[in-house]
Amino acid sequence: MSILFAILFVLFPPEDKIKIKDPWMRPSSEKMATALYFVIENKTETADTLFQVDSDLAEKVEIHETYSDGEMMGMRKVNFIIIKGSSSFELKPGAHHIMLMKLKKDIKDGDEGEFVLHFKQAGEIKITATAKKQN
Amino acid sequence: MKTRNLFLTTIIIILAISCTEKLPLDKDLTKKSYNLIDQNGKEVVFPEIIRGSITVMGFIYTHCPDICPMTTHNMYLTQKELKKADINDVKFVALSFDPDRDSPEVLKKFAEVRELDFKTWTLLTGEKSTVNDLMKRFDVKAIKTDESIDEDGNSEYSMMHTDRISLIDKNGRLRKNYKGSTLNIEELVNDIKTLKD
Repeated sequence: MSILFAILFVLFPPEDKIKIKDPWMRPSSEKMATALYFVIENKTETADTLFQVDSDLAEKVEIHETYSDGEMMGMRKVNFIIIKGSSSFELKPGAHHIMLMKLKKDIKDGDEGEFVLHFKQAGEIKITATAKKQN
Repeated sequence: MKTRNLFLTTIIIILAISCTEKLPLDKDLTKKSYNLIDQNGKEVVFPEIIRGSITVMGFIYTHCPDICPMTTHNMYLTQKELKKADINDVKFVALSFDPDRDSPEVLKKFAEVRELDFKTWTLLTGEKSTVNDLMKRFDVKAIKTDESIDEDGNSEYSMMHTDRISLIDKNGRLRKNYKGSTLNIEELVNDIKTLKD
C-alpha cells in the first residue's frame, strides 16, 4: 500500500495541485508572536482546504484572521481556509495570516523558517519563508 | 491702505482654514502629566518627554502579530521618508496598552528586532491605570479577547483595539489621528511639513 502511495506521490506531487507563492514572515523576538503570509494557488478544478500549519519555530501555530469593527481592529482563530477550484487565496497583512505564538528564537530580517502546510486534497506541502521588514 | 489690510486679512483667514482642514484637531495634551516607564526602565513623564518636538505616536501591544507590527512599520517608514526630506528632529513614541505583558525589557527587544533608532524612538509602558488614563486622552480603546490560561498558568489573550497613529505638535497639542496599520505615509509626512512651516 505504501509503495502505491509513493508512486502516486511521484506521479502527482501536491505542488501540482496547490502552489504556494511569495511566503514571508515578519521579524520578531523569542517568546513573542509573529505572522506568516503567502499566496495559495489552487491549480485544480475542485476546492481544497488548508486546515493546519506546523513549524518548529513556534510552540503554537494557528490560522487567524484580522477583522475590523469601526475604528477597532481584532484578531481571531479560524479553523480552516477554503480555496475554491482554479482560484487564489492571499494571506496578507490586515487579513488572514498564520499566527506563530511563543517563538522559540528571535526571527531577524533575512532569517528563514520552514513550514508544513496541510491541505485536505493536496496533502502536505513544505515551504520556506524569509523574514522581511515590510507591510 | 484699507484695501491692502482687507487683502492680507483674507489671505490669513484662507491659510488658517486650509491648515485647519489639514490638521483638524487642536487638543492640549499638556494639561495633565503621566508617569510612565521607557524601554530602558527609566521613569519618564509624558508629555514632558516630547515637549518642543513634533511627535508621531502609535498605540501598540507587542504580542500582536499583524496590526501593531504594521503600525510600527508605518512609523518606521515615515521616519525614512522624513530623513529623505532632511527632517531628522521628529520624535517617535509607541505606547503599549498591554502593560501587564509589555515590560521595558519586552519593549526594548520589540524595538531592537525592528531596528528602531532609540535616539528618536521611545517605547512606553507603566501602571495600568496611568496607561488607561492616557489612552482615554487620545480616545484609544483596547479590550482583551479570547483569554485563556496556558499549561504554565500564564494568561494568554489577544486584544481588540483602536488602530491609531497620532500627530502631536511642538506645543504638545494633538493635531490629527490616522489609521495606524493602513497609514498614508505621504499624508503624514506632508502634515509634519505643514507643522514645521
